[in-house]
Formats: sequence, structure tokens, C-alpha cells
Amino acid sequence: MLPIDFSALLASSIHDIKNSLGALRALLTQLEKIYIDPKPDELKHLNFEANRMNNILMQLLILYKIDLSQFSPTIDEHEVGEILEDVSAQQSTLLSLGNIKLITQCDNDLHCYCDSTLIGNALCTLVNNAQRYCLTKVLLSVAKEGDYVVFCIEDDGKGYPENLLTSDYKQLPLIDLATGNTGLGLFFTDTIAQLHVQGDKRGFITTDNNSQFGGARFRLYLP
Amino acid sequence: MAAINFSELLVSSVDDIKNSLATLHALISQLKNNYPDKKPPEFKQLEFETNRMNNSLMQLLTLHKIDLSHFSLTIDEHSAADILEDVAAQQSSLLSLGSIQLLTQSQSDLFCYCDATHIINALCTLVNNAQHYCLSKVLLSASQEGDYVVFCLEDDGTGYPEDLLRSDQKVPGLEDTTTGNTHLGLVYVETIAQLHVKADQKGFITTDNNSQFGGARFKLYLP
Amino acid sequence: MTINLASKKILIVEDQAIMRETIKHIMVTFGARHIIEAESGLNAITAMRVDKFDIVLCDYNLLRGKNGQQVLEEARHLKLLPINAIFIMVTGEQNPEMVLSAIDNKPDDYLIKPFNQQQLLIRIDRCYTRKKFLRSIDNKIDSGNLYQAIECCEELLQLNDKKMHLPLLKLRAELAIKVGDFKSAEAIYQGILQERDIPWARCGLGVVAFFLSFYDQAIETFQNLIKQYPVMLEAYDWLVKAYESLGNNESAMSSLNLAVELSPLSILRQKKLALLADKTQNLPVAKKAYMATIKLGKNSIHRSSSDYAGLANVYLKSNAPNEALKIVYELNQQFRNDPEAKLRSALLETRIYQAKDNKTLAQQAYGKAFKLNEEFNRQVSRELRLEMAKTFFLNGNGENCDEILNDLLKTNIDDKPFIKDIELMCDAIIGEEHANTLIQEIKKELVDINNKGVSLFQEGDIQGALAIFEQAITKTPNNHTINLNLIKVLIHDLKASQLASEKILRTQSFINKAIEIGVPHSQLSSLQKELTSLKENLSITS
Repeated sequence: MLPIDFSALLASSIHDIKNSLGALRALLTQLEKIYIDPKPDELKHLNFEANRMNNILMQLLILYKIDLSQFSPTIDEHEVGEILEDVSAQQSTLLSLGNIKLITQCDNDLHCYCDSTLIGNALCTLVNNAQRYCLTKVLLSVAKEGDYVVFCIEDDGKGYPENLLTSDYKQLPLIDLATGNTGLGLFFTDTIAQLHVQGDKRGFITTDNNSQFGGARFRLYLP
Repeated sequence: MAAINFSELLVSSVDDIKNSLATLHALISQLKNNYPDKKPPEFKQLEFETNRMNNSLMQLLTLHKIDLSHFSLTIDEHSAADILEDVAAQQSSLLSLGSIQLLTQSQSDLFCYCDATHIINALCTLVNNAQHYCLSKVLLSASQEGDYVVFCLEDDGTGYPEDLLRSDQKVPGLEDTTTGNTHLGLVYVETIAQLHVKADQKGFITTDNNSQFGGARFKLYLP
Repeated sequence: MTINLASKKILIVEDQAIMRETIKHIMVTFGARHIIEAESGLNAITAMRVDKFDIVLCDYNLLRGKNGQQVLEEARHLKLLPINAIFIMVTGEQNPEMVLSAIDNKPDDYLIKPFNQQQLLIRIDRCYTRKKFLRSIDNKIDSGNLYQAIECCEELLQLNDKKMHLPLLKLRAELAIKVGDFKSAEAIYQGILQERDIPWARCGLGVVAFFLSFYDQAIETFQNLIKQYPVMLEAYDWLVKAYESLGNNESAMSSLNLAVELSPLSILRQKKLALLADKTQNLPVAKKAYMATIKLGKNSIHRSSSDYAGLANVYLKSNAPNEALKIVYELNQQFRNDPEAKLRSALLETRIYQAKDNKTLAQQAYGKAFKLNEEFNRQVSRELRLEMAKTFFLNGNGENCDEILNDLLKTNIDDKPFIKDIELMCDAIIGEEHANTLIQEIKKELVDINNKGVSLFQEGDIQGALAIFEQAITKTPNNHTINLNLIKVLIHDLKASQLASEKILRTQSFINKAIEIGVPHSQLSSLQKELTSLKENLSITS
């Protein structure tokens, strides 16, 4: 039997898959050019799935490194407006293909201490899902609440299903194969949030269905 | 800090990605249906990349299970012709989009004892690559050589690069991005081959550039 | 392609619109004309009630309600699927045989996502060809005529189809085991193994050893297999049975635990694990397994009030009567208008309130159980009736207890594991000799009836003997000797009187029943031969 260096294998597999995914997205862009408006719905859906795969791969790799204790966040001061801009940019291809609106809202001078790559990735995952499950719009807003900077995503969809409203995101609802969405995105965001520590305060997340538009609401608290 | 059960996480992530991939694949074939005859060349590339991602994911999961010793083959008698037919079917949508020919050759009464699912997966990975790097054709044949049933893959491309001709495929080439997932594919095939055991004989693979068409030749020996 | 899709009724069960579209497009391209789509398991079942489908393509991961396996189980249970229909499970899982492995009710094949047109068609075509080849055997098995299925199998083997040779031998050996012809099964498996080391053939030898009561040998076989093939679930299932037969419930449980880890979605394995853990007083494992069973039972035909009762009992044993009460409440919520569930909950309440020392409520619950037992009596399962008997005794009502025990013993006298359960219960709460005394009485009664029938038969009063045995079989339907003698008299009657096909069919059905309750091959095979030749005579004369 060959000894398997699984760690190396995992990294190289994910590398391969990400390469393929990159090629795939480039191809999709090419295809989009062929179509004149209105573009087929499939293109939008394709972009969504490509985003989703990309997000999961990225999460997988980071969680793996955390598991091996080979990971620590790169915390720095960042302008919140820029983070929101990055998220909008990442979603722009997808949004341009449909009629969902992504609205971002934050004070000009709001800053927060975080690993902006990680937080950006986590928000992208959640916005990608929100725009899929909402009816017309998603609001991504940031505000200061006491000692925390709070990122809030609200939509006008049907809201979170029961099993994603739990306060315990550490539990992967793995047995729930039937629900399709395994809640990996929330698990990841929760893990990332907890890596953000300030004094005795830790980052955390909440989920509820109290969106001002009547759908799901997600909040990420960073100290 | 949340304790991560990485193994469960990996399995559920790969599940998620595979679901996305299946949807993506369905979307692409829907789009393709819009073109009755001449399809844009992007579709061929899209098929190739989705195949590749699917293969990598499957290999990753299998190698992970082998690593955990949560794996064993399901050995039974299979017709070699059926196995070749399955491989050709898997590649058919890709091949129909280009001008590469996949020829299969075996006697109708050739049988081998193996885990068909894994052997087919392994051969699909290699054919997917071969048709990408060859000029005009790939020959997949099966025959009896002494105590072994041999699956042989030959193409008319430029042949394997030097580093893939080493007899030792145990270290995946993390640094080598030009060969895509060829390397991981070989590690996977070799691992699967070695799990096929009969008395004191073990399955194995060889790679050389002695293809009858002047390109790469791969051989998988099963006892 | 050998299959002509134009004439086939096809059902596509898939929750994702895009996947449904794609599959439909493929089928239509290849000539399919009758396609029904369902986006949930419930709709699939409804569709199958209306139409008899030839091909069902069912996704495993259905977003709401039943999953694909539950659809399959329900369809087979309600006989909504024609026996020759093809059911293909579509899944993203790489090793579906393992991960989704149910103990019974396997689909005809799995199709792994993503797949293209060719792959889908090849899968359907191969399934169709295989099923068509095996059609005669499947039909016989479906009607319970196992000996005739064996004949069909032998005939097909004569065709020397190389591809079907090994699958046919496998089927032939399995049929031999079903009718209790272990020698033939063993010879087949050994023949195969001489050629090649094939895991299922080795497993088959273990199964033969198991049925011949060579448990140690069986255990060794299964253990070796598991060592070499650590995910071979079938070997685990048999290993568990072998340990159980040796009375080694501890080892049975730990082996089953491993199998459950490998296939956590198999409800019947979880259920069995719960029962075994309960027996061995391993309360944490029992609790976990009961909970998993309840969860998996949602939307499943294997959903049962007994799982709730089991969990409540575990809580009771862990001195948590209030938790137990919550589960009983849940049970009542989940199973309205189900007599079995009502009786269960009454029995549980009796014990829970006794544990809480609330005599009034305990007495009330006991009264309810008493009435329900009178009302539904034999309609409830034997395990529950045994539980009822126990409660009767514990509440000072020995007479009603014995009434149930007598009835249970009579109807199950040859079912050794269940008789053992009755004995264990009696030994624990009534007294060492109690069960034995009842059993001896029943056996004596049976011997008397039997002797009477046999002597009438010997005196030449065939009709008299027939009457005796026919009456006896209504009272003790599962008794080996009575069944066997009834068959003998029926065959004698057939020979003596005018041949009639309905009489032959009736006799065949008793033989099929005898196979089912485990009458040995050595006693049945000659009777089957006689009946078969009578049948041939009939078809020649008519």
C-alpha cells in the first residue's frame, strides 16, 4: 500500500479544482458575450453555482489549515466601505444577469479590525446565497453597535429554514442530507468570526428571520 | 474555538461541490440544446473542465477514505467491454463537441475481477486528459497478458513529460501546474491498482511514450 | 440500445427543475413518449398509485419530505412498482452501494451525478437487459414459488451466457439458502472460490456455516472478510446475527455499531442497534440509536411507535421519568388512531407513573391498557403482546398474562429466538419453570392432534385427517410438523382423487409457507418433487 500524504494531496487537489473553476468562469464569460439580451436564465444560475463551488473550496482549505493549527488571521485596520465594495464586485457578474438588487450601506469613516480577505470571502458566500433565495433585493449594511462592528445581510425571501436558526453553528447538520444546504457557509463564518478577538471579546454570528424586508437576516459581529 | 471534525467537513463539502457541479453540468447541457448543430467551442472546454473537477473531487474523497482506512474495494467479475463502454459513455458528450476520436478495443469474452466503479473513474480521468493533449485520437484497449488483464491507453500527442515517466508516482507534483490533475490522477490510479490483489500478485501501472501512434502510453495491470 | 423507450412509462423524481428538464430532454430525444415528473417523494408515490411505471429515475436527495430510498421502500411495500420495473437511484454519492446501503430494498442500479446522455441510457439499457434475462426467475420468486425459481435458474444457466453466469450462480446459491438447501449453496460458493477469490462467495460460505449452526466458523469467515474489506456491510450484518445466535449480545452490538457508523442512514440497522444496546443495558448507545431511528423514520414506512416506546423505556431505566413522559406525549402526537401506539403509550404510562409513585395515574393508565388489550388483542404485534402479558403479571393479573403467553407460544412454537424472549421474560419476573410448563403443555397438545391426524390417515380416512390438520393450522399456523403433515395429506389426496389445478396451487402455497417458516429442505424437497410431477401430469392430461 502506498503511504498517502493526505495533506499534500488535499492542497494539490483543491489547487487543481480551483484552476478548473477559473477556466470555467472564463469560459462562461466568453459564452455570455455570444448571447444578446435577454440572456438565458441558465447563465445566471451557472454563475451562482460557480461562485458557490469557489466559496466552498476556499472555506474547505481554510478550515483544513485551522484544523492543522497552521492558520492565523491577518488582522489589520480596514475601511468597511472597501470590504463592501469588494463583495459587490465579486457578485457583479451574477447580479448583472438578473434583476436582483444588491444595496450596500455604511458610514464613510467606519473602520474595523479584521482579516479582510476572510471576512470578504465569508460575506460573498452569504450574499451569493441571499441573492439566490430572495425575491428582489439584498441589503448589506454595516454599523457600529457598542464595541462591535456589525455586518448585516437582509433579504426579502422566505427566510432561513428551521435548522439554520439554531444558535449552535458549530454543529454541522451532516445527517440532514435531505435539506441540501449543509449550512457549511454559516459554520465557516462562525469559525472565522471566532478567530477575531479583542480583549475578552470574540466575534460571533446570529441568524433570524427579522429582516426589515420580511426575509432572512444574518449578522456578523466583530469586536 | 469550535472544534472541527475535518473529516466530516471534507465529506460534506465535497458533497456540496458535487451537487453544484451536477447542476452546473445540467445547465450547460440545457444551453447546449439551444444549438442544434454547430456549437460554440467553449462548450467543449466547459465539458472538459467539469469532467476534470468531478474527477479531482472523486479522487480526493477516495484517497481521504483510504487514508482513514474507511475504504475497501467491491470486487466482482466484470466484462472488460462493459467497462470500456462506460468510459466511452462518460467521455461522449465531450468528444461529440470536438474532432478527437476515442477508439475502444477488447474481446467480448474478456472478464476481469475488479471494483468497476473505481477502475472506470480512473480510466475516465486518464482519457479526459489524453483527449485534451492528443492530436487526433486516443485508443483504449483491454487484453489478457499472462495472469493480468491490461487496460492500455495510447494517444498521438507529444507524450508524457519527463517527470511523469518516473516509475515513482508517489509524490503529487504540487509545483507542476502545467499538467493539471494528471499527476493526482496517476497517484489515484496506482493506489487503486495496488488494492487489487490476487494471491501474491498486485495490480500496478506503467507510463511510457511507446504509443503505437507516437504519443503517451499508459497501462493498468489487474491480476 | 435494446430497449424501446417509446412504449415505456417513465417517472422522473427530482426536486431540481433544471435536472428534471435535462433528464426529460434526454429521454425524449431517445423516443420516450410517456414521461411523468414528480418534484417530491410524496408526488412520486401519488403518481405510482395512478400509473404502473416501467422505469423510475429517482433522485436520492429530495429537498422536502421523503428521500429516494424512502420512496423506493414505500413503493415496494405498497406494491406500486411492477416486479419487472426498473428503479434507478440517482445520487451524487461516490459509493452509493455503501453509504446508502439499506438492509433490504436495494434499487436495481445507482447512477452517479453528474452524468450525460450516454451514461443514463447505458444504465437503463443494461438494467433492462438484465431484468429481461432474469424475468422468469423474478416472477417465480415474487409468487413465492422458490423451487420453481430454482428450476428457472438452472435452465438459464444451461444457456451458457458468460456475462450472466456468475450473477446466476449467485442467485442460485441464494435461492438454495432460502429453501434451506445448504449443501447445494456451499458447493456453488466453493466452486466459485476455486476459480477466484470473490468476496460475496466467501460471505456466502459464512452464511451457510451460520445456518448449519457452525457459529464459530461463520464468525471467523465474516471477521476475515471485514479485515480485508472493512466496508463490506453484508459481512457485518451476518456477523451480528452469528454473535446473537451464540448469545454474545455484547459483540453483536459492537459489530453492529461499526456497521452503523459506515451507513448511518440505514434505519433498520439503527433500529436493530437500539434493540441490541437495550438488551445489553448499554443505555447511551440505545438512546442515540433510538433517536436516530426516530429521526430517520420520519417519512419512512419503517416509522414505528415501538421506537418511541424504546426511547421512553431507556429514559425510564436512566431514572428520568419526566423525559420518558415527554416521549410518550410525542408518541401520542405522532400516532393518532393507531391501536398499537395507544396500547404502547398506556403501558408506558403505567410504568412511568409507578416509577413516579403516582398510584392514581398509574392505575388509570393500567385500566386503559386493559381495555385496549381486550379491544385489539391479536391485532397488535407479538412483542407488544408480550409486554402486555408482563404488565398483567406485574399488576397481579396472572390469568390474563397466561392467556396471552399461551396464545403467543402456540402461534410461535417453532420460532426459537422469540420463544427464548418469552422464556427470559418469564424467568425474570414469574419464575424459572413457568414458561417451560406452558411450553410442555402446548407441545403435548400438538403431539395429540398430530397423532390423531396421522392415525386417521393411516386408517385411510384421508378427509378426516385433512380436517384435523386444517383445523390445527388455523390455531398454530407456524408449526412445522402440522404444516408438513398437512402437505403430505394434501399430496396423497391429490394422487388419490381427480387432479385439479386449484388443489395443486393450494398445496404449493402451503409448501411456500413451510419454506418461509423454516421447515428444513430435507423434509420439503421430496414433497415438492412429488407436487411438481403431479403438476406436469396435469398439464399433459389437459
